Amino acid sequence: MSRPTGTQATTPTKIKKISPGELMVQWADGHETHHLAPVLRGMCPCASCKDEMTGMRMILPIHIPDDLEFRKIEIVGQYALQFEWSDGHHTGIYSFEYLRELCPCPECKLV
Amino acid sequence: MAFWNKDDKGVALGEEQVLNVLKKVQDPDLHKDIVSLGFIRNLKIDNGTVAFDLNLTTPACPVKDQMRDEAVALVKALPGVQNVEIKMTSEVRQTPQLDKSALKGVRNIVAVGSGKGGVGKSTMAVNIAASLGAAGARVGLLDGDIYGPTTPIMLGLDLPPKSVGNRMIPQEAAGLKFISMGLLVKSEQPLIWRGPMAHKALQQCLFDVDWGELDYLVVDLPPGTGDVHLTLAQAVPLTGAVIVSTPQDVGLRISMKTLRMFQQTRVPILGIIENMSYYICPHCNSQDHIFGHGGGRRAAEQLGIPFFGEVPLDLAIRTQSDIGSPIVLAQPNSPSGRTLREIAERVAAQISIRSYETPVLEVE
Repeated sequence: MSRPTGTQATTPTKIKKISPGELMVQWADGHETHHLAPVLRGMCPCASCKDEMTGMRMILPIHIPDDLEFRKIEIVGQYALQFEWSDGHHTGIYSFEYLRELCPCPECKLV
Repeated sequence: MAFWNKDDKGVALGEEQVLNVLKKVQDPDLHKDIVSLGFIRNLKIDNGTVAFDLNLTTPACPVKDQMRDEAVALVKALPGVQNVEIKMTSEVRQTPQLDKSALKGVRNIVAVGSGKGGVGKSTMAVNIAASLGAAGARVGLLDGDIYGPTTPIMLGLDLPPKSVGNRMIPQEAAGLKFISMGLLVKSEQPLIWRGPMAHKALQQCLFDVDWGELDYLVVDLPPGTGDVHLTLAQAVPLTGAVIVSTPQDVGLRISMKTLRMFQQTRVPILGIIENMSYYICPHCNSQDHIFGHGGGRRAAEQLGIPFFGEVPLDLAIRTQSDIGSPIVLAQPNSPSGRTLREIAERVAAQISIRSYETPVLEVE
């Protein structure tokens, strides 16, 4: 078994900020993902957080406060979300595929 | 009360009866009947005369006449009906999400792209836009080919746009509002830009232009998969993209890349147009498939997307483009003019389908 891919698994049907630091995404395949702001911030795919040549992480968990919050959440075109964090960073574009791939629930982590 | 106003049971002809028979008319693209779709407006029954508006989702509907004729025949067959008066109207639906963007007066944004240059992408974009405009839609054209803008030539207007405050007023030609980088830069000057400049230029052409109310904004993309494409896919929720290709396999394979790029950014592919499909000899009118045949249709079938049609390599299309008068307006009933208008109608039909199917997504 592999991680769920395909359109159903990566098409959000509902996107909701359920608390300042928690985002809920419901997917067309029925799955529900809960993302915590500090964890998601650490996985920022932008060029200043992840070195373009080496892929090395330039931002580490120690750089991120535990109480980091989503300041703004915007839909990018029709394929991604862009967050503005309470630390001011805002250049990361998280595709729906990436957000599903990062789903931290035990069910997704197992496969 | 006149006798013809009564049906068999002696009850006056009612709205319900009319609507009941009209339910038999299906919109072949939306797969629903015209009553459920809310297309019937201002229904009036006066003695033997039934009058209503048939309000479609695009003035360029390819099956407009067919639906009207069906509706007339069905209503006329009702007892007591002597006259049916249908007014054809249209209201283009807005793609969900666009209403919240800076372009809220624009109902649909459609990109025209290709894998490589020189496949006639701008020619297709201009003629599709002009056809939709001629059908009665409000249409804008954004020439996003910042490196080689050609629409000022094809529309015969090469004057810089005026601006009011910090907003540009689009130029108007061939019934279209249009903006092109070609209007903003002296024509012999090449643009030597890095990515961020291209990004900025497209954003300005989208957001700093007074587009006003538009049913369709057609964006002519530069060839390939680059900054402009990504900017567009990120900046606005596109209704979809039209891919232009030549019949040659190599052309198609490259178009495939463009297609994948749109898929990755979740831009719906509306369909493929095969341009330079065959050559019409201006002397004897014979047809030659100089680049091969059927490639576009096969690719569309394989991918399960609509095939919009084959446009010939026709001298008239080129000469009309060069004198700034699109063939769909100058010679609408020539074989190529007709072909291009039919393609535009098919594109409009796909846009209507998309505006019904695209789910509304918002951050709560």
